[in-house]
Amino acid sequence: MKKLRLVCILILAFSTSVSFGGVRHFTFLYEAPTSARGSLELENWITWQRITGPSRSDEVDFRHELEYGVTDKFQISVYLADWFYESNQDHAGFAYSDSAIELIYNLTNPVVDPIGLSIYDEIKAGDRLVELESKLIAQKNFGPLILAYNATLEAVWEGRELEEREGEFSQAVGASYEISPRISAGIELLHEFVFPEWRDEEKIRNLFVGPNLSYRHRNWFVTVTALAQATDTDDEPDLQVRTIFGIGL
Amino acid sequence: MKLKRLTTFAAAIVCLVDLSSCGTTSFTPPPVTAELARAGAHQHVDLAALREGRTLFVSRCIECHTLPAVSQHSATEWPRLIDEMAGRANLKSTERDAVLAYILVAHSQSH
Repeated sequence: MKKLRLVCILILAFSTSVSFGGVRHFTFLYEAPTSARGSLELENWITWQRITGPSRSDEVDFRHELEYGVTDKFQISVYLADWFYESNQDHAGFAYSDSAIELIYNLTNPVVDPIGLSIYDEIKAGDRLVELESKLIAQKNFGPLILAYNATLEAVWEGRELEEREGEFSQAVGASYEISPRISAGIELLHEFVFPEWRDEEKIRNLFVGPNLSYRHRNWFVTVTALAQATDTDDEPDLQVRTIFGIGL
Repeated sequence: MKLKRLTTFAAAIVCLVDLSSCGTTSFTPPPVTAELARAGAHQHVDLAALREGRTLFVSRCIECHTLPAVSQHSATEWPRLIDEMAGRANLKSTERDAVLAYILVAHSQSH
């Protein structure tokens, strides 16, 4: 309750002087431009994942994120809460997952520089979970076309005493074409290398690919991506759909 | 089969880049050159305002959409468009004026 009150006070304090943070053209990739200085945005993420086959299950992940432009090149985000609904043969129910802080610093511009670059860092902590994530974000705009690339390194500690360790390296590429001032459509591809206990003995490689669609109007936007698994990893989702709804405060 | 799908995806991206690269030059906002500065001086816009206007145009506007060419809209349409967008881009009035001044000067040189 105290947390909620603090969030409301922060929103009210900022909302008198701030506006829109920016539109996402992708949901599984980040873009190089950061939010304008002083802008504040609330983003709500919903990701539905389905694993088919004998161990069929569904999971819906929710994220509520506040994004603030500290300077024109530096933005800070707070994931107020990541939580999920899980349904499988054994049980079904909601649970809190984690909260996080995310920092993005923009180095170069994707329009006037040869390539737009940003660096990203995230610290996440939750119920028996600590995660560190670093990203290099690259982007180039060619007229109405946006091309983006993310390289991500992730370290996860899980379990009662955080004794389970896992590393992950992933690459994502995406293209988004602006069909009209309000609508963009494109494609995203995500390639993951998973290292349980920081070892590569199991050779876990996951590849996901699918289309995206983004609509923006006034101070809000909604972007949807549907990804299908192009590999045969059993415990990874065969289909996942992510929607991000953002609104300027 | 999956490799074939991946190849199709890669080919689609290459095609998109090829198609869009035809317009790359025209979509890059013109830099503030001596010629543009002279045109600005005729319209009572100083060099600092032109530079600030371009910097803001190429950074704030792409947070929501790709950049339109300055010739895409008429000199009478631009003020209304910038007014509509200024709030969303969190532009102060002096910054809004600088963006508009840069666009109008660049627009006058685009013909």
